[in-house]
Amino acid sequence: MNNTTQAPIILIELDQETRSKHLDRAKAWFDNVLLTQASNRKLLEDTVEKIEEPHIKQYLTEMVEQEKKHEEKARELFSLIDREPSDVRQLLGEVMGKARQALGDFIAVAGGAKGPWQDLHQVYLSNYNSLGAFAVAEQLGLALGIPRIAEITFGVMAEKSTSQLLLQECVLEMSSMSILYKEDF
Amino acid sequence: MANNKTQSQKNTGFQINRTKLKTATAAQQDLHNLSTPARPVVDPADVVVPDGYKIEPIMVGLSFPTDVSFSDDGTIFVSEGGSSWPTRPYMPARVIVRHPSGDTEAISMNVHAGPRSVTWRDGELYMAFKGGYHMQIAKYNLSTRELKILIDQIPSGGWHEPGGPVFGPDGMMYFGHGSVSQQGVALPAGFTVDLAKHPNAHDVPGQDVTLTGNNVRSRDPRMPYPFMVDTGAFKPFGTSAKKGEVIKGELFCNSAVWRSRPDGSDVELLAWGIRNPFGMAISDGGELYVTDNDFEEKGERAIANDPDRIWHIKNARKPFGSITTPDWYGFPDICGDGLPVNHEKHLPSRGTAAELLLENPPEWAGPAVFLEQPHSCMCKMDFSRSDAFGYKGELFVAEWGALAPLNSPRPEDLDHGFRVIRVDVQKGTAEPFMHNKKMGPASTYGGGGIERPVSCKFSPDGKSLYVLDFGVAKVTPGNMLAFAHTGVLWKISRKEDNNE
Repeated sequence: MNNTTQAPIILIELDQETRSKHLDRAKAWFDNVLLTQASNRKLLEDTVEKIEEPHIKQYLTEMVEQEKKHEEKARELFSLIDREPSDVRQLLGEVMGKARQALGDFIAVAGGAKGPWQDLHQVYLSNYNSLGAFAVAEQLGLALGIPRIAEITFGVMAEKSTSQLLLQECVLEMSSMSILYKEDF
Repeated sequence: MANNKTQSQKNTGFQINRTKLKTATAAQQDLHNLSTPARPVVDPADVVVPDGYKIEPIMVGLSFPTDVSFSDDGTIFVSEGGSSWPTRPYMPARVIVRHPSGDTEAISMNVHAGPRSVTWRDGELYMAFKGGYHMQIAKYNLSTRELKILIDQIPSGGWHEPGGPVFGPDGMMYFGHGSVSQQGVALPAGFTVDLAKHPNAHDVPGQDVTLTGNNVRSRDPRMPYPFMVDTGAFKPFGTSAKKGEVIKGELFCNSAVWRSRPDGSDVELLAWGIRNPFGMAISDGGELYVTDNDFEEKGERAIANDPDRIWHIKNARKPFGSITTPDWYGFPDICGDGLPVNHEKHLPSRGTAAELLLENPPEWAGPAVFLEQPHSCMCKMDFSRSDAFGYKGELFVAEWGALAPLNSPRPEDLDHGFRVIRVDVQKGTAEPFMHNKKMGPASTYGGGGIERPVSCKFSPDGKSLYVLDFGVAKVTPGNMLAFAHTGVLWKISRKEDNNE
């Protein structure tokens, strides 16, 4: 038995104009996700080369592969809102990765640290920055009612959160080596 | 230090604005391809209502709506947004106003957790708000646009919600607030986000109680290392209780129900020990009923098989100003069925079993007038007052639905709720009134029916029941994610009203 009627229904913020505006704004943030992710991946790649301690080197090597996948995930976000990523932003991210290394060198000199520790410290901060960018993207996915965005970003955030703990541990463990003993590792 | 703490717990007020809201209209066929993948279809044909009734969506695209109300001229008010369930994403905290002319506007407010209820009365909107250490009840005059805070002392900042306000035939304002803690003690399992915002929040009893000294041991998620702390009842997280310690009861407690004059003066505590009195309704005869949600089967104070319930607040029948001792309905030690939380029937299959927190507790004011399946999550409700709609005198209750498997490991709990029931409060029985063809939220099987009913209210003429559907909230054993722009306002009425 038909229990329905056909009266006009009010759509709240689901009209085409409002929806399109919201998706454009989400796209702008996704470009930011890609930028911070590219920056983090580039910084991590360069840092692995500088580390000699075999276990930390292994952790970071595996992390680089994970970061490459996260970059693919960042690009996938755009297809979920029918938008294209900005390749310029991704390139800019790699440049920023290099700039962070220079910043790390400056901090190291000012703080009396020696060796690759300052790069590791910058990776620690950069990973958190990238994690935060994905976390915001998750919120936008929830606000737009797009579950796939939340699924992708949640998976990335889970891995980056684990990386964050690992990076924190390595940075704190090796800080005495770098600052007190002035030695590489 | 005490002054600083008191200062930090004060609300600092908020601003309220009115703006025209851009909307569009759609036909039913347009709702089969919505732009929100979380809820791509809204289809009343997937919803079951009794023969002789019809159902139609009225508003689609709401973001975490909590309540609906009506003015005498048929204007519809829907409260939505803020930081709700879960706390993210934050969506604009506002009341959507749909005028009979078709114009739509938004009454927006910059208050963090947002409006949890809206009640129209004599040209003014009464709203209850979370956000900060105190819940607030505010009154907004629709003509003068004056905002007045009526109540701003009730300790909040935790897990549960404000209730009401509703108005009785005596002209008094009735309102409530649930507990800060989820399980009787402030714990990280149900408190992690709130713990960052309100580390000093805690439950407050409505009368003097003596503690058993049973504390709950848990990890402190605020600390950089695994860091174990003990927490006692009626204490901020990380503060332990001592055996025999007396906690003073206060007028402005929580897990409680009050009444006052409509301007918020002469507040009187009617009852406490009610875990979450989110739904409140007064019968034509002036009897006050409140919903209450059960304990959860998880974490460091886990309790199993606690039924959802509706309490009759008997003190509401007594003359205004005459209550000397509030009734106690069991929280934090008694389940809805009257058994203690450590009874073998309530022992959990996961988590740490609960111990009693109160020594020589007050006399229990139960039994409940109606017990519902655990985790149904009964929310707001309303009495039918019209023969034109039918079931006059019965209480219609929106059931948000289970958070299982997050809050219960039991497979039978998975589809509890997700419907509207009608309760005979005299007999203590209920029948389903509105549900999907397949029980549970429609999105779990690709249907276009209801997701999570959060409120139901009758139109001023009593001929239609409006059911507010919170929208899609996906639950896993580990977390919950809710999606904005998936809320729906449904309308149910008798077919013969339109000569169908």
